[in-house]
Amino acid sequence: MKAYREALASFLIILGIIILVYWNFGVSKATATLLSGLTLASLYFLLGAGLSLIFGLMDVLNFAHGVIFMIGAYIGYTFFGNPRLILNTLPLFLALSAGVAAGTLLNQFFSKQNVAGGQNRVLSLLLVSIGLVTLWWGLRGFPLRPLVAFEPTTPGGAIPTALAQEPLARMASRLGWMVLSGLLLSLGPSFWRKGKEKPVVIYRHISYILGLTAAAFLILVERNFLEKFLLSLSVDLRFLLAMVAAVVVGAILGALIEGYFIRPFYGRPIAQIVLTLGLMFVGGELVKFIWGKEGRAPMSPPSLFAVSCISPNIFAWFRERCSSIYIVGRAFPSYRLFIIFIGLLMFVVITLLLRYTRLGMIIRAGVQDSEMVEALGINVRRVFTIVFAIGSALAALGGVVAAPFVGVYPDMGGIFQLQAFIAVVIGGMGNYAGTAVGALILGLARAFGDTLVTTGFTFPGMAQAWKASPAIARASIVLVMALVLLVRPSGIFGKKR
Amino acid sequence: MNPLLEVHDIHTYIGQFHILQGVSLTVPEGSVTALLGRNGAGKTTTLKSILGLTPPRSGKIIFAGREIQGLRPYEIASLGIGYVPEHRAIFTNLTVEENLRIAERRKGELKRKADFIFSLFPDLKKLYKLPAGNLSGGQQQMLAIARALVPDNRLLLIDEPSEGLAPLLVRELMSAIRQLSSEVTILLVDQNFQMTSSLATYYTLIDDGRLISSGLMSELLKEPETVRRYLGAVV
Repeated sequence: MKAYREALASFLIILGIIILVYWNFGVSKATATLLSGLTLASLYFLLGAGLSLIFGLMDVLNFAHGVIFMIGAYIGYTFFGNPRLILNTLPLFLALSAGVAAGTLLNQFFSKQNVAGGQNRVLSLLLVSIGLVTLWWGLRGFPLRPLVAFEPTTPGGAIPTALAQEPLARMASRLGWMVLSGLLLSLGPSFWRKGKEKPVVIYRHISYILGLTAAAFLILVERNFLEKFLLSLSVDLRFLLAMVAAVVVGAILGALIEGYFIRPFYGRPIAQIVLTLGLMFVGGELVKFIWGKEGRAPMSPPSLFAVSCISPNIFAWFRERCSSIYIVGRAFPSYRLFIIFIGLLMFVVITLLLRYTRLGMIIRAGVQDSEMVEALGINVRRVFTIVFAIGSALAALGGVVAAPFVGVYPDMGGIFQLQAFIAVVIGGMGNYAGTAVGALILGLARAFGDTLVTTGFTFPGMAQAWKASPAIARASIVLVMALVLLVRPSGIFGKKR
Repeated sequence: MNPLLEVHDIHTYIGQFHILQGVSLTVPEGSVTALLGRNGAGKTTTLKSILGLTPPRSGKIIFAGREIQGLRPYEIASLGIGYVPEHRAIFTNLTVEENLRIAERRKGELKRKADFIFSLFPDLKKLYKLPAGNLSGGQQQMLAIARALVPDNRLLLIDEPSEGLAPLLVRELMSAIRQLSSEVTILLVDQNFQMTSSLATYYTLIDDGRLISSGLMSELLKEPETVRRYLGAVV
């Protein structure tokens, strides 16, 4: 009953503020501010949802989440503008994973035959160092700079020559080295500790190896054809594919991070924080290494939102596809409405997932007591991996959707992650619905803070408008957080721990 | 008398503390076995060691003819062990129905077992769609037991079911467990010696993480001195 009254009170306060703002700024300006706030809120939510799910279920503060957001943005940007980079690097990763799969299989064979007799740390170190040398040898001289610098494909532009690419034979030998290196790097660590190996399904593993190798070679051999094909697609379709690519990369990265880095450290929060912080720095530097220190201007949004005109209303937009829409007398970029739409859509999708699927039920139960869930016979570790992958996919989606809005730059991960963390804290750590509300409050606070600077605010009874300094606009987010935490120390929906 | 579960000399550590220092027990199939001991004797840790939640460092655990020590808890549970933990550990933010559904290991299990569960705990039928957090302590305990009955378990580990319940509810609970014992083997831990002694056919007594004695409950009842010394109860 008390919680109900509090919710009502906070709702009335927010409503009061909105009415005051509308009365002050006038309907059209207030609405534009509201929509700007919703755009930001949508991005904060896409990033915060994963943070919140991961913290709620696994008690992991994932500082590497912003990096996934940023990588999503960069991958989407690259896929959209420069598929050549992807087509030339993807086979290398596929070959490496084929090698890892082969190493796992070989390890099984060795442990059955009792070759090397289990633990052998010298052998383990030796294999890993040879693997690293092989990796370096395989990647030596790879023309990364020219491939990254190569940005030929403004929508509708001519298809460029193949100068930046290496000849096929050279790339094929690189693939061979990658397979070998993957094999050594996965085989090496298994000799470090003598332990029971989980048996793997041999046929499935062989099909992994063959499939990955075949895919690597196919992409490589057909790279020119694929590039032409991708560039001939409509810009909208390419944008959609870029979103899919970013989401897939995000999910895979999330699953890998959970499996290789987080899993050994469950129940050791300090180690986890140091680890994810480390991943954040490594990821940031990696992005700088591959794509360069300087950011890129916002990528051109899909043509759905690019025709330079202003639609009189949202229904006309569906026909005209203008870059802006008149909303109560003021032009608003239609692409930002798309960001809001994606945020809302994902909120609904995740809500339905949590509410109506078995996975969602297990997640909700696991947030409360994951040990009991495991004691019921449910493989909670696998659920952890899935949730990590889902959260990372959402972050990557946020990144790729943000790219036409804010551009891509190496600090974007850290900046957005901070805001998302604040949204999660305001909403109550680990509470999914709370994160959505927190993101909403934060986005609105930021947008109204900005409007306060440009327009100022007339309090009832004041003759002249009071204008905030830009510093206050930037601080508005933190001020809101401080206010919320003063009233409710564990966040709006947070339970006392 | 076929042993369903055998525990041989397990040693379990929690952090640096050597909690179980050689506990052995046998649970014969088709009966109720009581695990007895005072507070802090290691009863809950024994149950958690069997399930792999606090895996023992040494010793052997055999369930249905298969060594299970070292398996992950979900693998052990999937072999057919249901766990009703201390303090119930039901999911308060899920509905009663979801609390039962989550325990399904195969589709349709809940549907098949629903009638049996409702006949045992009629209260749950009325509360089916409510959040489990709204239930009283006794109803939560019944839900926790019902949850362990949804899949086809061969063994139930029940930890302190009567804790914090009014005497009338304890009697209700006892009759439910007695009814259950004809269907499934039970390893029962409870502070209420009157309850355990009337339900159990066999017993294992531990103290300070060590085995004291085990055998038929009827024989333990003939040694009031042992009962008084280790359990502080009067026969």
